[in-house]
Amino acid sequence: MEIRETMETADPPQTGNLGALTSGFAVVQWEGGRHAVYSADPAAAGGRPFLDSVEIQMGRALHDQSIALSLGKADVVEFDPNEPQRAGSAPKIWSSAPVRVLALVFGPRMENARVREALALAVDRNSIHNVMLQRQGEISGALLPQWLSGDAFLFPVATDVAKARALVSGVPPAVRTFTLGVADPAFRRIADRIALNARDAGLAVSAAPSSAAADVRLVEVRIASSDPAAALAGVASSLGLAAPPRTDSPEALYTAERTLLEGFRVVPLFHLPDVYGVGPRVKGGPGITPLGEWRFENLWLEGARP
Amino acid sequence: MTFRIRLLLIVTMAVAASVAVVEWSVTDKTREAFEGFEKQRVDALVRQFRGEYDRRKQDIVLAVKRIADSRLASDIAARPDPQEYHREAESLASTNGLDCLELVAEDGSIVSSAEWPARFSYKEEWLTAPGTDWKTPGAFLKREELEDGFTLSLLAVTTATAEDHKLYVVGGQQLNQRFLSTLEPPKGMWILFYRNLEPQFSPSRLIQVSGSGQPASQVQPLIERVLSRKQEVIETLGQGEDAETFHVLPLTGYEDNVLGVLLIGSSRRDLVRLEASLRRVAFFVAAAGILMGIALSWWATLRVTRPVMRLSETAAKVAAGNWGATVEVVSKDEIGQLARTFNRMTHELVEQRERLVQAERVAAWRELARRLAHELKNPLFPLQITVENMQRARESCPEQFDEVFRESTQTLLAELANLKQIIGRFSDFAKMPAPEMQLVNFNDLAAGTLKLFEPQLAKSHVQARGELDPSLRPVQADPDQMTRVLRNLVLNAIDAMPDGGTLTVRTLAMNGGVRLEVSDTGQGLTPEECERLFTPYYTTKTHGTGLGLAIVQSVVSDHKGRIAVESQPGKGSTFRIEL
Repeated sequence: MEIRETMETADPPQTGNLGALTSGFAVVQWEGGRHAVYSADPAAAGGRPFLDSVEIQMGRALHDQSIALSLGKADVVEFDPNEPQRAGSAPKIWSSAPVRVLALVFGPRMENARVREALALAVDRNSIHNVMLQRQGEISGALLPQWLSGDAFLFPVATDVAKARALVSGVPPAVRTFTLGVADPAFRRIADRIALNARDAGLAVSAAPSSAAADVRLVEVRIASSDPAAALAGVASSLGLAAPPRTDSPEALYTAERTLLEGFRVVPLFHLPDVYGVGPRVKGGPGITPLGEWRFENLWLEGARP
Repeated sequence: MTFRIRLLLIVTMAVAASVAVVEWSVTDKTREAFEGFEKQRVDALVRQFRGEYDRRKQDIVLAVKRIADSRLASDIAARPDPQEYHREAESLASTNGLDCLELVAEDGSIVSSAEWPARFSYKEEWLTAPGTDWKTPGAFLKREELEDGFTLSLLAVTTATAEDHKLYVVGGQQLNQRFLSTLEPPKGMWILFYRNLEPQFSPSRLIQVSGSGQPASQVQPLIERVLSRKQEVIETLGQGEDAETFHVLPLTGYEDNVLGVLLIGSSRRDLVRLEASLRRVAFFVAAAGILMGIALSWWATLRVTRPVMRLSETAAKVAAGNWGATVEVVSKDEIGQLARTFNRMTHELVEQRERLVQAERVAAWRELARRLAHELKNPLFPLQITVENMQRARESCPEQFDEVFRESTQTLLAELANLKQIIGRFSDFAKMPAPEMQLVNFNDLAAGTLKLFEPQLAKSHVQARGELDPSLRPVQADPDQMTRVLRNLVLNAIDAMPDGGTLTVRTLAMNGGVRLEVSDTGQGLTPEECERLFTPYYTTKTHGTGLGLAIVQSVVSDHKGRIAVESQPGKGSTFRIEL
């Protein structure tokens, strides 16, 4: 089986998708960021996987991956969250729960809380969700997704351009002008839309490939645990926020999350699932868990040697 | 300035002026031809631009119409959902060679935008403005807003309809470096294109298509003028070889505002170099012409002036008294003719002078004879009468002869003395001695003379008056001769006033010399008499030898002085001597 994805890692990871893959397979070839080959492990705890090996092509553009899937050059590919999924573009879709948090993270230079709040109010999450994300995932103002915390709906997500404009009306133009960095090209269009929404609020935001000089960054953070408290701690750590207090109480967790989001240093926008297109030869599955981890040990390929 | 130098200057100036006129004429014609040629090139370039511009417009209209006629456009018109179609514009634009494409729903909201994909659902209000139906195909310039600023696009709008729903298809191409790169200006020309996208002039909006023209700061005034006047401007910037002529054309846009300015620049370097080359050639030609002119005019002036100089030298000899001097005749031209005429003239002058001298000599001898006869006749007649009386007395009255003889001899002696005096005067004139110079006080001389003549003046009822300059200093002169001169003049004055009058003797100091004037209030002299007054033996009186004034003139001449007479008939005369 051949998998293409955008991941670029120097060494074989022990966690995440590839980390999960190691449960039934062993690395036989690794070229960081380019190519990897996993071979079925006969001594795996659950028994030898059906697949003999999994070959992974890394660092490929999402568009190229779609073409590879269409041409049968790959069996499983990542899907562009911005790309409209037409009928027939993939025989089968694997989708995880919304485990990726897409959020705006303000840098230390963005000291003006009114500007940060104005940008949070100006973003039209609905348009982005409906059109660009093709209604994948969830609109959210919370760090943890609804399915994990149960209280995500309590965080505001409404757009209020008038209020945003009022907030920045007295702010000097230089403070209202800043850059929005976006490291992942897949989210560049979303960044452009956010910049356009910001313009409506009187902010001069220009989207640019993420760099240290960016005043705001559009970042994606993966939720690595199905335990809400652990997930919140992981997300907070990934976003550079203070570690929340350890608690099992939903109320305390809500309070902790709300505290983290005070001051609009981080503005959660969406919770997105991992979405994969699966070729017609791939049988069994699904090949991913709700947290997006790969589980290929129960997959097999149609027409392959038994 | 000599004739030779004058001729030299005239020839030099003529050559220089001729060369200057030719150079100016050639330069003017060259400039005219160059500018005509440049105009042709500019016109060709403008035609090329307009052709390309129109072709692009046509292409854009066709592409937009093709998109509008597509099945996809109908589908989008029927259900303008950005969720489904927001990426379509990009692929459609790419497929149809458009830089920008927007699919806009009937209400003006963008379904899909190629140039700004994030702008879906935003409104394009200019499309749905009242009075715009977009039924007439055609492309136009429009200022378009993009994510990173404004751009200038050539747009066309058409509509697609489905199920009574309308979809606006707005497509076009940006007027950027790529758009204009198809224009290929000839060598020495370049194209600049300014996109008027901001309220103030912005150098970053100036596209240089080719060549290396003036910096933006220098063409800014031209652009601003075209923007304000909306008219074509032709102007030359810079000077010398760096000068460039710009033809600046405005391009109006959707709202009849000037959105683009095309600048076609052409270097004047070739013209300036050509003109400089012509000037150099003209300078060398002029220099050569002037040198040749100098040489030729030198040769010509030598040919012309040499005989003239010879003529002049000969004339000077003639003036100096060498009446036999002649000019050598070496040519048959005007100069030769002049020399011949000069020789003939001098020859005739010599002949006339000889005739005149002869005639004057004869006349002088005649005058002398007449005077001598006149002077001698007077004493001779009493001599004859006396001798005849003596003869008659001896024959008829011998007793009275002794008495008669005694009386007659007295008369004879008196008349002989008279004859001796006459002869003495003639002798004096003939042997006028050279002056013996010493310092003479003319005031004393004049006063003494007047005193000497006091009795005679009183007898003639003439009043004497001396106006003597006290500042007069002694002057070198012969006192005896000058006394004689003054006496002669006083005597003449007394003679000129038989009925009495006033005699004035006047002295006046002048530059180390003296002016002596003797005036009378007599009958005066006619101009003819004045002319002949100093001629020997000429007199207006019934007595005298006519030598008095001749002697006066001779003495004054020997003293290197001048004598003149002023007279008007009836008002007296004034003799003026200056020493």
